[in-house]
Amino acid sequence: MHYGMVVDLKRCVGCQACTIACKSENGTPPGVMYTKVLDQVSGEYPNVRKQFVPVLCNHCVNAPCQRVCPTGATYKRDDGLVLVDHDKCMGCRACYVACPYNNRIFLKRGRLKQGYHGKVMTPYEAVKYKEHQDGIVEKCKFCSHRVDEGLKPACVQTCPADARIFGDLDDPNSTVSRLIRSRGGVQALSDDNTEPSVYYLS
Amino acid sequence: MSKSMPLVEGNAYVLGFRQQVEWSALIASAFFFGKVGAGLFMISVVTQSRLGMLLGLLIVVGGKGGAHLLYLGQPWRFWRGMSRPGSSWVSRGLWAMTFMVVMGGWALLLPAGSSLFMPVAVIAALFAFVVAIYDGFLLTSSNAIPIWNTALMPVMCMFYAFLGGTTMTLFLAHFGFIQLAIGERLLSAVEMALLSVNLLIVIMYLATSVTAGAAGKTSFNLLVRGPYAVPFFALAIGVGLVFTLLMTFFAGSDASPGVVALITVADLIGHYYIFYLLLKIGVFKPIFGQLKI
Repeated sequence: MHYGMVVDLKRCVGCQACTIACKSENGTPPGVMYTKVLDQVSGEYPNVRKQFVPVLCNHCVNAPCQRVCPTGATYKRDDGLVLVDHDKCMGCRACYVACPYNNRIFLKRGRLKQGYHGKVMTPYEAVKYKEHQDGIVEKCKFCSHRVDEGLKPACVQTCPADARIFGDLDDPNSTVSRLIRSRGGVQALSDDNTEPSVYYLS
Repeated sequence: MSKSMPLVEGNAYVLGFRQQVEWSALIASAFFFGKVGAGLFMISVVTQSRLGMLLGLLIVVGGKGGAHLLYLGQPWRFWRGMSRPGSSWVSRGLWAMTFMVVMGGWALLLPAGSSLFMPVAVIAALFAFVVAIYDGFLLTSSNAIPIWNTALMPVMCMFYAFLGGTTMTLFLAHFGFIQLAIGERLLSAVEMALLSVNLLIVIMYLATSVTAGAAGKTSFNLLVRGPYAVPFFALAIGVGLVFTLLMTFFAGSDASPGVVALITVADLIGHYYIFYLLLKIGVFKPIFGQLKI
């Protein structure tokens, strides 16, 4: 079993529904996004195109963040998920500078004391912020808590354009494997030998 | 494609080059104190100065250790940083610091004339050498930021540590705090040689950074043409290397204490700023640099 994701760039409409679904599912504080959709304007007037690129932790097979982590807080599960043990992280941010995808977020001390409406927390924030710690590094977990229950990650579940597909990369008959084979899935920064588990279809 | 990519600031939802923002003044301070302290310790072992060794240890423990603790998000978990010396340079650095302090402390506790002093001090100096250069390997190991990913980084750390140690030793000797076992004239000549070598290494480093791909060029431009150009040329190069070299050359080993103090301050300013600026200009590669959408 090796979980992975395929992102179909031709399908992504840049609605940021995945960004909101992720924030809602994980209850991250303001400014913390495990996933988001970046855009790029290319071409010259009048032939200008806006393209959308969803980004998230790539759950690399050769994860540089895991290699450089001095505490062992970043670890890899047998199913390919790269996770952070919040109780072990000391907040040195070596993983932040090692991640070529810039998808790690440091929660500054005191960041969990303020929600979206200042110091007054909504009941939702009050509950969800207990799942986080400040002074440590966090990142996308591929919604491990959902995946363990047989559900899809929240971003995949929510995407209205079916631009995100989640599945087992080890299974040659899974949708993700078939899409990668048939449409030539590309890994971001493949030259870095990180072997990301996120593939992009263009 | 990379030519049209912008330098993205903050959390903007735009594809482009992203500057690293987490390693900054405190990490630069830790690197600075680590190299100056370890350098002073190593030179003091050579010159057999116990006070120099003690000061070196205090700078490493108080300065480097303190800056790291202030920087950590969860400082009370610092001991967990020793868990992964097999793959993490942070762990290796922490182990080296620990051994340097233990062995250095042991050497200093030995009575004068003890036959164990030099062997223990040399072992401590070997660990001090690791403390001086490990941050170079730490930066080099980050493939994500091409301007750091060069073999010259540990070399630069090593020579800056030797320079910092020599400058501090000359300062202590001029003010009568320590007696040198080797000639002050020789140490002044070493200082000038180290300043020249450091200047050469910085030039070589800049020359290689231009070839480190689009992100490397972006970092280079930030340093020599962008917002960091003034502190780089004025403080890191001008004050830290050129001014110090000229002052050392013209004043020589007979310089007045005031001049030596000025040389020391100028050298330390340059030392701090070079690594502070190298951290600030760290730019990640664009994640889709090679993917046509």
